[in-house]
Amino acid sequence: MNVDVKGPEILFEIPVLGGIGVSETIVNSWIIMAVIALVCFFLGRNLKVKNPSKRQLVAEKAVTMITNLVTDVMGEKNAGWAPYIGTLLIFSAVSSLSSLTGLRPPTADLATTLGWALVTFVMVQVTNIRCHGVSGWLKGFTQPIFVMTPLNIISEVANPISMAFRHFGNIASGLVITSLVYAALAALSSLVLGWIPVIGQIPFLQVGLPALLSIYFDLFTSVLQAYIFSMLTMVFVSGAQD
Amino acid sequence: MGKYLDFVSIPPDVWSLIFTWCNLLILFLLVKKFLFKPVQNILKQRDAEVREMYEKAEEAEKNAKSLEAEYSERLGGAKEEAGRIMQEATRSARERGDEIVGEAQAKAAGLISRAEAQIEREREAAVGELRAQVADMAVAIAEKVIEKEIDPSDHARLVEDFMSSEVEKR
Repeated sequence: MNVDVKGPEILFEIPVLGGIGVSETIVNSWIIMAVIALVCFFLGRNLKVKNPSKRQLVAEKAVTMITNLVTDVMGEKNAGWAPYIGTLLIFSAVSSLSSLTGLRPPTADLATTLGWALVTFVMVQVTNIRCHGVSGWLKGFTQPIFVMTPLNIISEVANPISMAFRHFGNIASGLVITSLVYAALAALSSLVLGWIPVIGQIPFLQVGLPALLSIYFDLFTSVLQAYIFSMLTMVFVSGAQD
Repeated sequence: MGKYLDFVSIPPDVWSLIFTWCNLLILFLLVKKFLFKPVQNILKQRDAEVREMYEKAEEAEKNAKSLEAEYSERLGGAKEEAGRIMQEATRSARERGDEIVGEAQAKAAGLISRAEAQIEREREAAVGELRAQVADMAVAIAEKVIEKEIDPSDHARLVEDFMSSEVEKR
């Protein structure tokens, strides 16, 4: 039997500019964004200085944790980055975890992770120019000696690419392996139980093992990759300030 | 529609990329507006409140200390004042007492001397009266004894001499 792991499906087209295909990735992103925005709205409502509710404590804890993470890595002066890093962390984690609900995770699409990585790349360059001026930024590529310039440029360009592919690869490989395991278990199921009429058509062996695999491929990888991606963004941006 | 994008294509689908950027920007703004801004505001307010409380507490403590110092100073002054008043009172009381006693003694002495004078006067009057009576009695006795009238003026002189000699003898 053939196992076909497809890319994101184009769900509909916006009929302008020769048709803009809106893929599963984008629609799923919107769903996830809506969920995150609703949760944020719910958490950030009716805050009080005294006698905070449990809901408010959760919101405060989340904001404080993200802010502490940002200030630990980037220093006190960069506390203003907390909302962006927090957004990236939550968006990435929830996107990858959305595979648990059967959605195709947006982070299993290179367009998503590369898009985020390019944003980081631009932020790094802008921060560098803001801190050192255009000449300082350009001079930075010739450090420590002029001969290193091509290598410096390559390493700078390699950063977003490696970030994008690392994230994409981890989530997409989870998707592929999960699909393969499901297909294999379905095949095994029909081989072992196929002789029983009606009941034999139900792939019983798909129950159990995929859940265990999903703990690694979905839960662990999702959270880890979200953390790595935001951590690298913080490190690169604060590195550009020095 | 049944159309699929490639599992991975380089470069990736441009529209997906553009959507991704828009999505990230929108979500960033939403998260910032709904979660970070309100929570940070609250944390800042709470911080300010706590700092204010501390300042107030410190000020109150300072006030209390200065009040305490003032009171203890005043208390010391009051004690001193009380001691002074006490001393004054004792002194004036003693003076007054002495005065009263002096007056009383003077008055008593006056009374005694007046009483003595009166006694003396009465004694003298009594002695005079007695003398007259004794003289009369002596004349009467003498008249009886000698049965003869003597000149009363001579007689009075005789008695007077006798009485004087008798008084002087005593």
